[in-house]
Amino acid sequence: MAYEITLATTMAISVLFALSLNFISGFCGQISLGHAAFLGTGAYASATLTKASVPFLLTLPASAVIAGFFGFLIGLASLRVRHDFLAITTMGVGFLFVGVVRKQDFLGGELGMAGIPSPDMSREMFMVFCIFLAAVFAVFSLYIRRSWMGFVFDSIADNEDVTRILGIDASRFKLAAFVIGTAGAGIAGALYAHHFRYIGPDSFGFVQSVSVLAMVIVGGIGSVWGVAFAAAILSVLPLLVQFVDDYKLLLYSALLFAMMRFAPDGIAGIVRRSAARFRRATP
Amino acid sequence: MTPVLQIENVTVRFGGVTAVHDVSLTINVGELVGFIGPNGAGKTTLMRVITGIVKPQQGRVLLEGRDLARKSIDARVGAGLALAQQIVQPLHDMSMLDNVALSCGSRKTGRVITAMLHTNREPERDKARGLLEKVGLGNVVDAMPATLPLGYLKRLEVARAMALEPKLLLLDEPLAGLNQAEAAGLADLILGLNKAGQTILLIEHNLREVLRICPTLYVQDNGVPLAFGEAGEVMKNPDVRSAYLGGHA
Amino acid sequence: MLYLELFIQGIVQGSIYGLIALGLTLVYGLLRILHVAHAALFTLGGYIGVIVTNFTGSFALAMFVAMIVVGVIGMAVYKFAYEPILHRPPYIALIASIALFIASEEIYRIVFGPFGLSYINPPLQGQIEIFSGFRLKHGEILVMVIAVVMLSALAWLSANTRTGVAWRATVTDPEMAAAFGIKIQNVRYLNFFIASALAAVAGVLVALLNNLVEPTMGSVPSYKALAIIVLGGLGSIRGTLVAALALGVIEAYGTIYLGKILDRDALAFAFLIIVLMVRPQGLLGEK
Repeated sequence: MAYEITLATTMAISVLFALSLNFISGFCGQISLGHAAFLGTGAYASATLTKASVPFLLTLPASAVIAGFFGFLIGLASLRVRHDFLAITTMGVGFLFVGVVRKQDFLGGELGMAGIPSPDMSREMFMVFCIFLAAVFAVFSLYIRRSWMGFVFDSIADNEDVTRILGIDASRFKLAAFVIGTAGAGIAGALYAHHFRYIGPDSFGFVQSVSVLAMVIVGGIGSVWGVAFAAAILSVLPLLVQFVDDYKLLLYSALLFAMMRFAPDGIAGIVRRSAARFRRATP
Repeated sequence: MTPVLQIENVTVRFGGVTAVHDVSLTINVGELVGFIGPNGAGKTTLMRVITGIVKPQQGRVLLEGRDLARKSIDARVGAGLALAQQIVQPLHDMSMLDNVALSCGSRKTGRVITAMLHTNREPERDKARGLLEKVGLGNVVDAMPATLPLGYLKRLEVARAMALEPKLLLLDEPLAGLNQAEAAGLADLILGLNKAGQTILLIEHNLREVLRICPTLYVQDNGVPLAFGEAGEVMKNPDVRSAYLGGHA
Repeated sequence: MLYLELFIQGIVQGSIYGLIALGLTLVYGLLRILHVAHAALFTLGGYIGVIVTNFTGSFALAMFVAMIVVGVIGMAVYKFAYEPILHRPPYIALIASIALFIASEEIYRIVFGPFGLSYINPPLQGQIEIFSGFRLKHGEILVMVIAVVMLSALAWLSANTRTGVAWRATVTDPEMAAAFGIKIQNVRYLNFFIASALAAVAGVLVALLNNLVEPTMGSVPSYKALAIIVLGGLGSIRGTLVAALALGVIEAYGTIYLGKILDRDALAFAFLIIVLMVRPQGLLGEK
């Protein structure tokens, strides 16, 4: 049972993390290649606090606020640069995060932080808690899609200049997307730190940022169900299949490339298109 | 006569070239002003000064008496300006109806928190349906913009701008790229909007349609204002005639 | 004396950055693609260089083979990876390129092993004393000489040959160039060939300096080269070279003076972010 619990917990954290990126890149169309930095921010913040005997549950809002604050700063960057330039700016932020953390002794430097206290709950309870938080964020995402905020996000993702011509202050909405998305990643990071109980700079590097982007894109950028599904599968597949674990990066990158090349709208897009074809075929 | 738009002594230079030279222009409530000029007249530049993309070296632009300087495009739209662009830019991932409905929802999209708390799109869709009807697109409300020809998208631009209930409607070459019948139809629509009380500045190349519908003309050439006034008078002006007929000889 | 040593090491490193980043600039200038996978070709160049040298004993031959093979593979990357997605938004190509790059690194790891390869008899290891107490390896001098020769040759060719003129015309205005009968497709192939061949040269040289090629040797240069072309103003050859040399030198000093607070490899990105925020179009770029 213990193994299944670990799997389910890992899965839930990945789903939450992927959905948080989906909020920024999927809903609002701002491609981020440094999202792991916010997972890391949350993880380091939460671990530092629990090590200082702050109760785990209290560290969650703190992680969200700290990650969201840095997310706000990156959001400001998105007001200056767009599209692929935003992507490499966020990539730079990711490298910067790792580069800074490596050199900080109070964060464990190169070696990272080990011996992070376990959350004050049983492993089963922690699993349920992680699933609960992922589900809450999924429901929240689905709600936002339907709201006027989601309407504006659609418009910004489509054409930011037009959005402004329609009298909408796109900057504020972009900032909101960054703050909410990175705060979500911060919470995922706090869960991550107390699930694995060890974190290091390499846990939050470029490869992790690309992996989570792969989950979002393979699932179907913007689709809550698609992204949750892809994150669930891609996060546990390497744990279940040894062969996959050996070639995890190759699999992720090949999948990502294939999706970009042949179906940039991901699994959700493929499902949507086949459903449409099916409806046409059966009158 | 209440002025809606006042352009006061605006000059724009790009490097050594003066694109707009000391232009002043006032548009009053309910007017339909045609803004014409040969190629390179500086029409687009003046237009961009109004929308805020180009900053003038001198002069200022007032909307209902308020200076627009340093206001972003969305703030200018919020203040009562609306723009139908020359190059149509529909939002491709939503239907014609939602393109207009989003524009109708400015009260819900004005603040992030308000937008977050509201989900009901029906009132705006109803209003959008009415607007699409009005511009002659009642039969394609649920179509995706990419499937429709240019003439439809030009009208969509107008409907989206009208949805903002602007004090001043700026139309940037709405007739460009349309055939004669389409252009005449859209010109009639513009005239109709004006008759219903909408103040309009129409920047246009199609002289024939402008002369047909605009009671007032403003002519600019090489960035210099040539004439402004009643259409018939303006067209008799020798400077205007030579700008159009005799080149710059 | 430390200052001068650091400076010259910075120039050597900067020359390598320049050779890599120039290829990226060429690709960006023509296709507006941020071609991260370029660094995978750089690594491949390193492998070919070591393997051919070890087999034949000729470093010059190895360099030549690496340029040709990697150049052709670069053309294939354009044909099969980029051409089909050119009409999509730019981030699609960027992500595809990153994916291709990571996949290539994994393939090198599987094919050549995780620990890397070295020269059996590393060439050009002799040293010259430039002034008292300061020595440079022949290899390091070769790096600077090759960088200067390659880049001036490229500049001369683009200014003085028909092909060069066609290339520049295509970069400036593809439609106009096509109207004048320039075959855009050929220009693009040539572009990828030259860019990739330059990356191969850099790869062979880095393998020589470190006497090691490993699967991940492209990781740092790939992202750093992106930073360089942005700093250089995107598509500007001169700007790229200036940025590459400047970064090499700054890193050399930065490692000494900023090493406590910032990782050497993060320095480029700190600059990148600052420049993008102040001038979103790059350092020397226009627009």
